Amino acid sequence: MTGVKTYNRKKMLIMFCMIFAVAMFLIGRLGYIMIGRGEYYSNKAQALHERERAIKAPRGRILDRNGVVLAGNRPVCTISVIHSQITDPEQVIEVLSRELGISEETVRARVEKVSSREKIKSNVAKDVADVIRSYHLDGVMVDEDYKRYYPFDEMASRVLGFTGSDNQGIVGLEVEYDSVLQGKDGYILTVTDANGIELVNTAESRQEPVAGNDLYLSIDANIQSYVQQEAEKTLIAKEAIGVSIIVMNPKNGEIYAMVNAPEYNLNDPYTLNTEGEFATEQEKQDALNQMWRNFCINDTYEPGSIFKTVTATAAFEKGVLSVEDTFVCPGYRMVGDRIIKCHKTVGHGLETFREGIMNSCNPVFMDVGARVGVEDMYHTYEQLGLMRRTGIDLPGEATSIMHKKEDVKEVDLAIMSFGQSFQITPMQLITAVSAIENGGNLVTPHFGMYATDPDGNRIKTFEYPVESGVISAETSATMRDLLEAVVAEGSGRRGQVAGYRIAGKTATSEKLPRGNGKYISSFIGIAPADDPQIITLVLINEPTGIYYGGTIAAPVAQRIYENILPYLGIEAEYEAEEPQD
Amino acid sequence: MREDRQDNQNQPRRKRIRFWNPGEYFDYSLLFIILFLVGFGLIMVYSTSSYTSSLDYGDAAFFFKRQAAFAVLGIVTMLLVSKVDYHFLKRLTVLAFIGIGIMTLAVLIVGSAGGGSTRWLEIGPLRFQPSELAKMAIIMYVAYATTSQVWKLNDWKVLVKIMIPPVILTGFIAIENLSTAIICGVIIVAILFVASPKYSHFIIVGVIGCIGGALFILTAGYRSDRIDAWLNLETHPKGYQTLQALYAIGSGGLWGKGLGQSIQKMDFIPEAHNDMIFSVICEELGIVGGVSLILLFIILIWRLMVIVMNASDLYGALLVVGVLTHVAVQVLINIAVVTNTMPNTGIPLPFISYGGTSLVFLLVEMGIVLSVARQIKIRK
Repeated sequence: MTGVKTYNRKKMLIMFCMIFAVAMFLIGRLGYIMIGRGEYYSNKAQALHERERAIKAPRGRILDRNGVVLAGNRPVCTISVIHSQITDPEQVIEVLSRELGISEETVRARVEKVSSREKIKSNVAKDVADVIRSYHLDGVMVDEDYKRYYPFDEMASRVLGFTGSDNQGIVGLEVEYDSVLQGKDGYILTVTDANGIELVNTAESRQEPVAGNDLYLSIDANIQSYVQQEAEKTLIAKEAIGVSIIVMNPKNGEIYAMVNAPEYNLNDPYTLNTEGEFATEQEKQDALNQMWRNFCINDTYEPGSIFKTVTATAAFEKGVLSVEDTFVCPGYRMVGDRIIKCHKTVGHGLETFREGIMNSCNPVFMDVGARVGVEDMYHTYEQLGLMRRTGIDLPGEATSIMHKKEDVKEVDLAIMSFGQSFQITPMQLITAVSAIENGGNLVTPHFGMYATDPDGNRIKTFEYPVESGVISAETSATMRDLLEAVVAEGSGRRGQVAGYRIAGKTATSEKLPRGNGKYISSFIGIAPADDPQIITLVLINEPTGIYYGGTIAAPVAQRIYENILPYLGIEAEYEAEEPQD
Repeated sequence: MREDRQDNQNQPRRKRIRFWNPGEYFDYSLLFIILFLVGFGLIMVYSTSSYTSSLDYGDAAFFFKRQAAFAVLGIVTMLLVSKVDYHFLKRLTVLAFIGIGIMTLAVLIVGSAGGGSTRWLEIGPLRFQPSELAKMAIIMYVAYATTSQVWKLNDWKVLVKIMIPPVILTGFIAIENLSTAIICGVIIVAILFVASPKYSHFIIVGVIGCIGGALFILTAGYRSDRIDAWLNLETHPKGYQTLQALYAIGSGGLWGKGLGQSIQKMDFIPEAHNDMIFSVICEELGIVGGVSLILLFIILIWRLMVIVMNASDLYGALLVVGVLTHVAVQVLINIAVVTNTMPNTGIPLPFISYGGTSLVFLLVEMGIVLSVARQIKIRK
C-alpha cells in the first residue's frame, strides 16, 4: 500500500493556497459590490421594487359669481383585474360583463390575459362600481378617480372649455386658470414583487393629494343661461350660422355672460354639434376646433356702423365736431376719385350730426373722419385699446387687423370712419365702447374674480388694469347722450326697453368678399343710458332674410335687457309705455 | 465489522454502541461543518423559495420539504458510507465508471431525441442527473488508476493513459453540460497533480486547458452570448438573472435586511433557491453573512486538506483530493458567477442550493471522506 508522501502534502498545500487565494479575491469582490457599489445597486433594486400609485387630486371647481357650480368633479371608477389574484374567473367574467354591459368575449379575453393588471373599463359611474365592489370578487380592483363634470352641459361651453384625460385644461378658462385649478396628485409607494403584485406587510409611504383651488367667475349663471336661450332662439329664427352675445359691466370689465351659439356639450366635447361626414381625420379635427372656438375673442370682423361711435369720439376729443354741426347727405360722397354710397341711396339731405348718428349716415362720418385726420384717428384707436389685445383672461385672443398708419389714404380714412376695411374682435369693440360710455376708463374685460382654497378661504383676488382718462369725461357724456338718441329715436329703436333709458348703436357689416350677401348684423346696447351698468353686444353671423342690425339684433338685446335689468335690481326709471315699434 | 463487535463483547457496554471503533479517528469538526451547511442550506432554501412556491404550488414549504427529505436521506447515507472501508470502492470503480458512462450517453440520446437539452435520467420513480454521479465516478476512477501506477507517474505517457477514459466521459458531459465538464476536468487534473511528483506536466496541461477552454467558448455560439452578457451585464437581455443577483447583493449592506426579508427573491431573481441563492444570502444577511459562509467553506476545505495529509494511504488521500476539488471548484465558480466575476454557468452552491441529486451525492462523497478520516492513524 502506498502512503502519502511529502511531495503529495506539499502539492496539497499549494492547491489549498490557490483555492484560498481565489476565495479571498471573491471576498474582495463581494466587498466591492456590497460596500463600494452597494448604494448604486440598492437604489436600482429599490426603483425596481417600488411602484408609485398615483392618487389623483380633485381639480378645483369653477363657480359663477353667486357660487353656482359651472364645472365640478364627479367620482368615477376604473375597473381592472389582476390575473394572478383571480380565484373564480367564470364568476368574474359573468359579473363584469353583466354589470358593465360589455360583451362576455371582451371581458373573457381581458380576464384570461396573463398580465399584472388589465383594465376592463374606465369612467364607470360610482354606483355601478359600488355594485361590483359589493361582490367582493378576488382579483377585481375598483379604483376611484375624478372626472370633470359640467352640470349645465352646454352653458358657456366656449368660455369654460374642458379638460383632457389627465384632468388638464385643454381650451378656454380651464387652460387659462389651469395652475389655479390643478391640484397636486398624491401617491402611494408600494413594494411589489416581480409581477407587480403588492406585497403585504411592507411599509408603504403615502402622500395625500392636495385638491385644486376653486375659481369664481364674473359670469352670472342666470344671465348666461337666459342670454344663451335668446341666442339659440335667434340662431334658429334667423337661420344664422352663429349668434354671439357678450354682456358686460362697462365700469369694471366683469363679464356677466358670453354666449356663442351653437354651444356644445362640455361633457361630450368630442362629438360635433353639427351634422356632416368628414373624409379625413384632419377635417374632423378642424370641425372640432371650429366648434370649440370663441368667436367673441378668437375671431375678427369688420365692426361696421357701431364703429361710428369711435369716429365721433375721435372728433369730439380733437374738438372738431359739435353735436349741432350740419352735414348734407346726397346719398353718396365723392372721396378723391371714388364714389362711396350711403346705405340710404336717395340721401338723408341736410342733417345735424345728432341726426346723422341717429340715421347712421355714412357721408356724415366720412366728413367727420376727414376732419379728424389719420394721425388723431389712430391716436383715439390707441386710446380705446383698438390697436392691442384687451388682455381678457382667455387663451388665444386675436387682435385687430389695421392699415399701417402711413399707408392710410383719404379714401381709406373715409371708409374706416364707418367701420370698414379693417377688422377687430367683438371683445375689442365692446371694450372700446365701454370706455366711451363709462367716462373714459379703458377696462380689462375678464371672467376670473377670485380663487378660494378647498375650504372656501379666499386665497387670491385677481386684479385687472384699468387705464383711466383715455378720453375726456365730456366726450363720454356727449356720446352717452347721442347713443341714447339712437335708440330713442334713431336706427336703434327696436332696442328700446320699456321703463329704461337705453343707449345703443346698430351695425350691419357685409362679410368679405363684398357682394356675397353674407352679413354680420349687430347691435351694441348700454343700460341705463345715463349711468351705464350693463353693456351688451349682439352679433348675428350670416342671418337669412332681413339682415339689418337694427331690425334683427336690436330686439335680441331688448329682450335680454327686459329680463336682466330687473334681475340685477336696476330700477325702471319711468312708467312703462307701449314700445313705439 | 460485525466481527469486531463480537470480539469486543467483553468491553464495557458503552463502547459497543459507539459510532466508531476504539482507536479510530473520527472527524467531528468536519461532520459539524457539513451538518451546519446542510441545515443553513435548508433555511435558505425555505427563505428563498417560500414566496414563489406559495404562489406557484400553494405551499410555501414545497421546495423546503423536498430538499429536507433529500437532506435526511443524504445524511443517513453519508453516515452509512462513512462506516464502509473506502477500499471497497476500488472493486466498484470499473463497474461504476462504465455504468455512468452508459447513463451519460443515454441522457445524450434521449436528450437529442427529445429535441432539447436534457440532463435528467428517470429510472422508475427515481429522477436524477447522471452528471452528478459522473463526478464521483471520475474521482473514484482517477484515484484508483493513479494509485495503482504511482511509481510510474514521472512518465507523462502514463499520465495521459490514466486520463484518457475520464476525459472521454468528460467530453460526453461537455456536450450538454459544460459547467459540470469543467468541474470534472479540474478534478482529474487536481488528483493527478497531487499524486505526481512533477510540476512541469501540469504547467503544460494548464496552458493547454486554458487555450482549449478559450477556443471552446469562442466557437460555441450560445456560450459566447454568455460572455457578451457578462461584459455588458446591464444592457444584455441574457444578463437579467445575474443583474438581479447583483441588485440583491448590493442591497444587503453590512448586516443585511434580515433573514427572510429579501425582496429580490420575489420572482425578481428567477429560481432564487437554485444557483443564485448566494445573492439572497447576501441580501438577507449582509456582507457579514456572505463572508462568513465563504470562510465556512474554507474551513471545510481546510479540514479536507488535513485529512488528505494524514490519510493512511495515497488512495484515500486522492479520493479526498477529488472531493475537495469538487466542493472548492463549485463554491468558487458559483460565487464568481453570482458576483459577475465570470460568465454565467449553472453551477449550484454545494450544500446550500436547492437540488436533491446534488445534495445526496455530495453527502455520499463526504461519507467517503469521513471513511478515509476514520483510518487516520493518530500518532502517539
